Amino acid sequence: MSKVKIATLRPDSVFDRTKPPKSGKPKDVNFPDFFETVTDNGINVVVIEDRKFPLVSSRFIFKSGSYSDHLWGKKYEGLSSVTSELLEKGTAQRTATDIADEIDFLGATLSTGCDYDATYISTYSLRKHFDSVFEIAADVILNPAFMETELKRVKEQRLNSLLSMSDDGDYLSEKIFRAEVYKNSPYALQSEGTEESISNINSKLPAEFFSKFFRPDNLIIAMVGDISPEEALQKINSSLIFPVREKTVPAEIILPEKKTGCRVFLHNKKGAVQSSLKVGHIGIKRNNPDFVILNVLNTLLGGYFTSRINKNLREEKGYTYGSRSSFNCQRFSGDFSVSTEVKNEVTADTISEILKEIKMLRNKEVGKTELKNVKNYITGIFPLQLETPNAIAQKVLNLKLNNLPSDYYNKFINEINSVTPVQIIEAANKYLHPDDMIISVAGNVSEIKDSLKQFGETVVVNE
Amino acid sequence: MRKYSAAVKIKTDIPSVEFREFTLDNGLKIILSRTRDIPMVAVNTTFHVGSKDEDDDKTGMAHLLEHLMFEDSPNIPHGKFDEILNKNGGDSNAYTSWDSTGYYIALPSNKLETAFWLDSDRLTGFGITDESLRIQKDVIFEEKLLYVDNSPYGTVEEESSKRLFTECGYRNPVIGNMDHLMNVTLSDVRNFYEKYYSPDNAVISVVGDIDYNRTLKLIDKYYGGLIPGISLRKEFKNDNYPDSEIRAELKDNVHLAGKFIFYRLPEMGTKDYYSMSIINGILSDGESSRLFKELEYNNELVNEYDSNLYGMEKASIFAVSALVLKGKDPDTVEEKIDNVLEDIKNGNIAENEILKIKNRIETYFSAKKQSIISLSEKFSYLKTFYNNTDKINFEVLDYLSVSKNDIIETAGKYLDRNKRVVLNYKPN
Repeated sequence: MSKVKIATLRPDSVFDRTKPPKSGKPKDVNFPDFFETVTDNGINVVVIEDRKFPLVSSRFIFKSGSYSDHLWGKKYEGLSSVTSELLEKGTAQRTATDIADEIDFLGATLSTGCDYDATYISTYSLRKHFDSVFEIAADVILNPAFMETELKRVKEQRLNSLLSMSDDGDYLSEKIFRAEVYKNSPYALQSEGTEESISNINSKLPAEFFSKFFRPDNLIIAMVGDISPEEALQKINSSLIFPVREKTVPAEIILPEKKTGCRVFLHNKKGAVQSSLKVGHIGIKRNNPDFVILNVLNTLLGGYFTSRINKNLREEKGYTYGSRSSFNCQRFSGDFSVSTEVKNEVTADTISEILKEIKMLRNKEVGKTELKNVKNYITGIFPLQLETPNAIAQKVLNLKLNNLPSDYYNKFINEINSVTPVQIIEAANKYLHPDDMIISVAGNVSEIKDSLKQFGETVVVNE
Repeated sequence: MRKYSAAVKIKTDIPSVEFREFTLDNGLKIILSRTRDIPMVAVNTTFHVGSKDEDDDKTGMAHLLEHLMFEDSPNIPHGKFDEILNKNGGDSNAYTSWDSTGYYIALPSNKLETAFWLDSDRLTGFGITDESLRIQKDVIFEEKLLYVDNSPYGTVEEESSKRLFTECGYRNPVIGNMDHLMNVTLSDVRNFYEKYYSPDNAVISVVGDIDYNRTLKLIDKYYGGLIPGISLRKEFKNDNYPDSEIRAELKDNVHLAGKFIFYRLPEMGTKDYYSMSIINGILSDGESSRLFKELEYNNELVNEYDSNLYGMEKASIFAVSALVLKGKDPDTVEEKIDNVLEDIKNGNIAENEILKIKNRIETYFSAKKQSIISLSEKFSYLKTFYNNTDKINFEVLDYLSVSKNDIIETAGKYLDRNKRVVLNYKPN
């Protein structure tokens, strides 16, 4: 039965609106060509020339981040992030204020930061200011001063940020989850540090981190936008001159220990009216050959709005504003998790539903239509990720960082389309472990604790 | 288009965007813009209705409708809107503000007709069911818990709005009062829908890999037959500015004290609005900004600081916020902020400081033009609120032509301590 109210439509324009329109011929999606080379001193250089807008961005990536904090021990976790924050806080010839004033006056941005695998320095500016911006970036990369006064400021700020972050339920559940999933591996360290470790860091340590890892053979540079490969190389060769140092010692791969059985970790959060929860276990490293299959599997399970988990928890039950699953893939290891925020009384039900969806994926082969729909979604929106030169650069840098082939994205759509229902169920059984879950919840412990004991051994971490 | 005198003539390198504009007989306004970077299209449909248009005892209706518009429409089976879109390689989202409700779809350009089919069906008649209403009430309830009740300093928006405005709809939070929401009936939803969801109250902007003629024909096919609504828009009565400073102490589950200061200004698009945007940049844009130096770097008083200008159709709000370092005094922070604002009012501003913000605005405007979704949203916004789409290429000049005198004038008129709201958040 059609429910069309004719009154809102002109009589002459009533046609069968229940029938989906036909689509036109699909267009090819091409990953843009890019230039790559390695300089004499070992810098990996990528250039993506795109002249549509008078903008240039540059990214400098040193392949060492919070993972490498382990070389100094748990006592100093957070060192990489403090080091990256200090980069723009003064060089041999510029104070922190000089750097900020110069960059801001050019209408540019300069930012520094790190994740577990790498330290990043990025700039963004109009073409007409790029020479000046590059010169400042080079200064920050080559000559950071790591001054005592600046370190003191950064530490004081960080200690307060740690307090402030602990007001957020998602932060707390993520923190516990990571510590358990990656137990005894460097990925378990807290990248932002702890009250204790931040207090321990003295000004010698950032300088040590810097001299160990800020070396040309550990560096990838991407220049993107209104710039040619020749111009980019000329800049690098003339303005980014590293002192001669030994080769960087590659990171040692230390994998987390395996644990079995479901375990529940609770963080009591004063006054919480919702539970922030994260349910999951160890996953895969980024260059695992099954990454593409798991991309499809994850999208189907909880990676987009009409995924099984979001449809179940939001659209059918109204338990949550949103839920998502993801494979967080890093260079040496990764994790799989489902995250959501729900009210206290449905916390246990929500976890049961999540486990049920994961089990179903392992026990029952996905239907051809459902799989086709998911693939269409992934490949359909893929070009949105190629819209800006910056987004393209990010993808290329990820390939380089994870030792993936340069033609990876040219094959991406075909690879997605070739995933079969058998591959999905095999991957589900290989990579999803509903009986060995870490269930991390930040919320009102007295209200939810009893209902969660059914899932396994339950620990309150801040009792 | 506004004319500029020689004294403030400004040049910019930002490439312009091409577009065409049409209006159907039923009042639907259409903007088409062709960009060929990727084989995709973004369709933004914006309805000129937001939370300020709601009845005082039924707040949250505009936002509720935004949720329900994805659930049921006459010819699309329940809950299938996103499923159909996703399997065609597309994605969608929506947003509600005080003044408008916007929906967008992004999908491969060969599927453009599917976007119009799905989107237009929302206007062919009322299809919402009780079941959808019940579930979406729960979803919105969780949304409120997530972003307001369970979020640190999450109540700032509602606590400030209700003090800055006492009569007009801007005093209510966009998400609405949860008691109102729980009492909403299907006929309330229907009434709101019939009042505001008509082609003459909408703008559709299509940006991306399109052919102009074909796109216009398709829009006519799907939207041309819709009959315009009867305009029964609630009359807007603006509030007076507060006549004395309003202060409030609030408790929250937070570790750091929060200082939040609000001033009212004229609506977006006015000269004062653009002048204030430049002031906003001088105050908080980058680590060369005044607030960074005064509050964070030189005096080490705060962990975070910010300032924002929220432009609305009938008013603007300028907000300064700071999270105070443990052991530091929030009153000292307020004093420093006041000193910074006094300096601006007194004209202690270097020309270079103004130029700096203009340089940043130029970069920002260039970058924004790279995304089809954000361009389509911007077109709908300019048409809805200014009825002036040329601003897509020329609005940057409204910012670049602000002079030091404009800044002093606007600051003097509106950064008045006797007309502001100050919220002090204290740890529980």
